[in-house]
Amino acid sequence: MIRKHVIALLIVPLLAACGAAQTSSPTPIPTQPTANTLPSATANPSVTLTDGLNRTVTLTGPAQRVVSLAPANTEILFAIRAGSQVVGRDETSDYPVAALSLPTVGGYSGFNLEAIVALHPDLVLAGGINTPELVASLEHLGLTVYYLPNPTTLEEMYTNLETVAKLTGHETEAAILVDSLKSQVAAVDAKLKPLSFAPTVYYELDATEPTKPFTAGPGSFVDLLIDRAGGINIGAELSSQWAQISLEQLVVINPGVIILGDSAYGETPEKVAARPGWGTLTAVQTGQIFTFDDNLVSRPGPRLVDGLEALAKLLHPDLFK
Amino acid sequence: MMQQGQDGSRPATMKIHPYLYTLLFLVLAVILSIAIGSVYIPPLDLGRILIGWLDRATFSEPLKTFAFILTGIRLPRTALVLLTGAALGCSGAAYQGLFRNPLADPYLIGVASGAGLGAVLAMSINWPYSFWGLLAAPVAAFIGALLTVFLVYTLARVGKTVPTTNLILAGVAFGSFATAITTFLMLRSTGELHRAIAWLNGGASQAGWEPVLAMLPFLAMGLGILVLSGHALNLMQFGDDQAQQMGLPVTRARTLILLAASLATAAAVSFSGIIGFIGLIVPHVIRLWFGADYRRLLPLSLIGGAGALLLADVIARSMIAPQELPVGIVTALVGAPFFLWVLRRAKNQGYW
Repeated sequence: MIRKHVIALLIVPLLAACGAAQTSSPTPIPTQPTANTLPSATANPSVTLTDGLNRTVTLTGPAQRVVSLAPANTEILFAIRAGSQVVGRDETSDYPVAALSLPTVGGYSGFNLEAIVALHPDLVLAGGINTPELVASLEHLGLTVYYLPNPTTLEEMYTNLETVAKLTGHETEAAILVDSLKSQVAAVDAKLKPLSFAPTVYYELDATEPTKPFTAGPGSFVDLLIDRAGGINIGAELSSQWAQISLEQLVVINPGVIILGDSAYGETPEKVAARPGWGTLTAVQTGQIFTFDDNLVSRPGPRLVDGLEALAKLLHPDLFK
Repeated sequence: MMQQGQDGSRPATMKIHPYLYTLLFLVLAVILSIAIGSVYIPPLDLGRILIGWLDRATFSEPLKTFAFILTGIRLPRTALVLLTGAALGCSGAAYQGLFRNPLADPYLIGVASGAGLGAVLAMSINWPYSFWGLLAAPVAAFIGALLTVFLVYTLARVGKTVPTTNLILAGVAFGSFATAITTFLMLRSTGELHRAIAWLNGGASQAGWEPVLAMLPFLAMGLGILVLSGHALNLMQFGDDQAQQMGLPVTRARTLILLAASLATAAAVSFSGIIGFIGLIVPHVIRLWFGADYRRLLPLSLIGGAGALLLADVIARSMIAPQELPVGIVTALVGAPFFLWVLRRAKNQGYW
């Protein structure tokens, strides 16, 4: 995964450069001088919150023009029904589909400050994947920036939903959402009650080098959710969130289930079975290899709960009949 | 002296007005850099804003947004890119002369790897979000770069002399070492990886005038010394012994030039990230077009480097707008074919 990012950084712009060789004329972005159409904040007192960088952020009222700089933030905004207040997104924000029609303001290869300013946002919602330098730059330009820290537990994720709700004036919707997410989790917990056996799980993040692939280590949501879904994450013993594991070690541990979080990059059960040396794994021999939508567990937004449910169904299909 | 044998191959005007040509190129690049961005600002508005900005006028919408984008984002960026390009071009020329090696670039003896290590080390610490906390990475990069040069220089020392071969070898070895630690740190860390990649690609510098002001004194000092070292570098092309006999204190001159070039490069790299190719290619193009006299090559590479990096930056931010490409990709992607074209067209063989 890490490597994929690095490779993507190098290759994607190259490809894009080849494809779009003659687009050097500037793309006019319609400036919308509607920035001053804040609601006459009578019912809504100003909001003051402390963000993930210990900055004090004050809004005169709910933000009406939000630029989201992280896919999880975009998903949160739409989930609490603030989607109509979003005016820009980062290039990786591809969910929900409605977000795709929003203009992008950059992403991995860098953010475009001009494009952000031209959108006249009254709130820029940064996330854990954004750099403090970017926050400082935007702050320097006089924009209101809220840095939403990466949550480490589901509870913290709920708190993030409530925070974004306060910033955008959707507290009621967020409360309803959090309740339904909690009951969804409770339903999974209840289904897993009669659990008698927890399979060992190898969750693959990147296997560019099949002899030492990357897996999810302790502290990651993958680790947390596999545990909650009634599995034992073999990466939990490793030392970092994105940890490299050798094939030798993998053969010794011999996980019961293989989950391909890198299936979006083209990994399939067939390809795994064909990797030299992987045929000795029990999971390969018994066909316990599954593709998985990594976005459900890598983006710290409300879909983590869907990720939990999907993992639980995958690991314990008998309990979800 | 150095440009002998080329006199017949180039029209004489190319030699009379090299400054005119390069300065014209620079002015053109500056204009493009100010005029082109992901937000289109009509040329008329552009002029009005620039004039008004100098008068410290205030604007009303829609000019207000344009003025803000122009003075808050585009102008400081143009200044930062211009200074960075100037530092890389001029230092590159100096390094090539110093090492008498056409492959030398400003990163040859470890400035880039040292800066990268410093920056990534600083990023592995969770600094508070404050003025100094945000300055930690560039400051650490600057210190890392200068420490690396100092270490390499000390390691390469043989008695009272510092042979260039030793410098190159020590630089390459220590550079690999520093890069290995950087990679290791990046693999071990999780959260800051993205930040480190952004920095190494030159995408993490802060907007505004602060970075420009912070690197200006170091560049002025370093580039000031370099521009005046043309004669010393000319003499060095004859080899250490001959230069010494001609009255040049070789070791002292070399140390001074090395220090000046490293200072300028380190300051540029600390705020702009590691941008390759400019420091290698620009001096060669200047040499091919205007001759190898270092008294002229150094200032011309300074101007040419600034213009070339500005152009690369314009391409980087408009090619896939509103996204931006790391400028290092553009310098190689566009710079390499251009250089090969120049090389093919050059009638004078063995210009080096």
